[in-house]
Amino acid sequence: MSPTVGYAGMTHLGLCSAAAAAAKGFSVLAFDPDPALVARLAARDLCVREPQLVELLAVHGGRIAFTADPDTLRRCDLVYVAQDVATDACGGSDLVAVSALIKRVASAARDDAVVVVLSQVPPGFTRAHQQADRPLYYQVETLVFGRAVERALSPERIIIGSPDPAAPLPKAFAAFLAAFACPVLPMRLESAECAKIAVNCCLAASIATADTLAELCERIGADWSEIAPALRLDRRIGRFAYLTPGLGIAGGNIERDLATVVSLSGEHGTEAGIIRAIVANGRHRRDWPLRTLHAELLARAPDAEIAVLGLAYKENTDSVKNAPAVDLIRHLTRWPLRVYDPVVPVSAAPHPSVIAARSALDAAAGADALAIMTPWPEFRELAPVALATIMRGKLVLDPYGVLDGGAAADAGLDYRTLGRTRVC
Amino acid sequence: MLNHLQATPTPPKRCLVVGAGGFIGSSIVEALTAARVPVLGLTREDVDLLSGDGVPKLAAHLAPTDAVIFAAAVAPTRSASQLVDNLRMAETAIAAFARTPPAHLLYLSSDAVYGENGAPLTETSPVAPSSLHGMMHAARELMFRSSVKAPFAALRPALIYGAADPHAAYGPNRFRRQAAAGEPISLFGEGEEKRDHVAVEDVADLAVRMVLHRSIGILNAATGVATSFRTVAELIARQHEPPASVVAVPRSAPPPRPLHRFFDIAACHKAFPDFHFEPLERGLARVHRACRSRAGEVARG
Repeated sequence: MSPTVGYAGMTHLGLCSAAAAAAKGFSVLAFDPDPALVARLAARDLCVREPQLVELLAVHGGRIAFTADPDTLRRCDLVYVAQDVATDACGGSDLVAVSALIKRVASAARDDAVVVVLSQVPPGFTRAHQQADRPLYYQVETLVFGRAVERALSPERIIIGSPDPAAPLPKAFAAFLAAFACPVLPMRLESAECAKIAVNCCLAASIATADTLAELCERIGADWSEIAPALRLDRRIGRFAYLTPGLGIAGGNIERDLATVVSLSGEHGTEAGIIRAIVANGRHRRDWPLRTLHAELLARAPDAEIAVLGLAYKENTDSVKNAPAVDLIRHLTRWPLRVYDPVVPVSAAPHPSVIAARSALDAAAGADALAIMTPWPEFRELAPVALATIMRGKLVLDPYGVLDGGAAADAGLDYRTLGRTRVC
Repeated sequence: MLNHLQATPTPPKRCLVVGAGGFIGSSIVEALTAARVPVLGLTREDVDLLSGDGVPKLAAHLAPTDAVIFAAAVAPTRSASQLVDNLRMAETAIAAFARTPPAHLLYLSSDAVYGENGAPLTETSPVAPSSLHGMMHAARELMFRSSVKAPFAALRPALIYGAADPHAAYGPNRFRRQAAAGEPISLFGEGEEKRDHVAVEDVADLAVRMVLHRSIGILNAATGVATSFRTVAELIARQHEPPASVVAVPRSAPPPRPLHRFFDIAACHKAFPDFHFEPLERGLARVHRACRSRAGEVARG
């Protein structure tokens, strides 16, 4: 018989995971202690923006029951504790809420139900929360903002932390995982918790490598966009490697795991200089737009007007966690600013007199400089000639290269992007 | 990183500049005066921090509402005794500040406190001095920060140039003197080392801003542009008619490693968004004009 699956904690992780479980045909119970949030979700007023999520819920939402009543978890054969763990500005985790939720789920679930921690917890956490009468499992979440539904539906593998990795997984748990038709890797709890960190450290190393070499390319006449495809064809690196240069690391998840490694290495006396270097490199690259704006414009034009396109930390999400745009705007409060983001409200911009533009071109109108801080697909449609016509100045910062640099230069724009020298 | 205890620039009741007779101190007094901040500049003649009566003499000038800028030093520090003297000067000041803690303390430090790992320097770069001069500033920063009960900031300038510089250390100040004397400008090797050269007026401007905002923390005073000594020499050589010659002198020691020193100045943009450094070429031209004007006055006098 198909197990009934519960998800506790209806933040980004819980909601996307619950939707994916429903899409796989399971009966899903989606619990959150906040009745107002549950009412919104039941009315399909989603607090999370993810491609395909609305469509997925429209088709499969009938199999999901949203509830604020923990007692209903007794219907579940398998319950995931799936609340996102909040982080501070330094990547430190606040584990109080997830600890409380585990206790709540454990006391509400049936004695024979399997409880699994899906939240982002550090090594040692799941073992420290083992119950006397029921093993607590851990599953690595690998959601990616902007691709969460795709990743939840089609994981490349599932990593399970078990108190006894040699023992077979409980039937309900195994039956549920089998629906995803991918390798399942049981391992020690600490190994699984560390595996998630290892994934993110590898990603961070790729990001920092790309960012480091992109900056060098900017100074030596090379073009990183010519180099990255060659790396993707190298089997040891791979076509999906994080090689697109950016403004350091944002979003909160990778930063969390880097902070955890630094913290654990300090606790256990291991060497983690490479992780500190990655963090330092990210901070340095994050300030590229600020340094460039000052060097190329603000030092000689104190009355400049600036336009920013994009607030989200990346495309296809409304998250502004550690977003480079927000960080930039925080230091531009002396200058008039117009902002446009297709999704994020302008109230997310920390600027006392920011003007909300109706469109990208509306934001650029009359600006002395334009910074394209999120690579939203719609910004790729902007015609450099239109920008050159509507802007007062010519400086365009396009860190992610959403515009055609050559066309921008041909249009007379002073075009700056990551990974290549100034395009003239 | 720098944090401002006063978001709106507000002058203190008075700013006491210790070391007001020096190259940097006198520029700071000028800048404070221009900013209409009441100033009391103390020189070695007013208070000798190495004498037995240094503590009571300095304390007698202090008021609890004062902002203090400490810019006094035996510089550059090349010997062990100079190092000890500089530490004793700080010790004297700390004893005086213990009697009357100021409202704010700004210490004029140096980028020599940083180690050399080749990465662009920021305010969070490790402090690992490789010279007595750097160790002196690092030690004094720590002495002041840990001993004085006042909001504390340190300003760490890169290589400072200016018309009134008395030291003629290798760089713009020596090159200018050599060219003015009709001598060739001499470079160590090819003068390929790139350094960040900052005008003393910009250092003073930042110091004033830090006083007005009652800032705490660390700020580098560096322009973010590194220029080779050869480029600096050639810029200065061209200021003269006929242009001075620039000669390479074989190095007596291997070139420094890493060869160059760069700064990432994002923290300065964040702390003082409307502040921008004078570009080196413009600053050197201004200094040249000031020196010529001064020389003319001396000749006329």
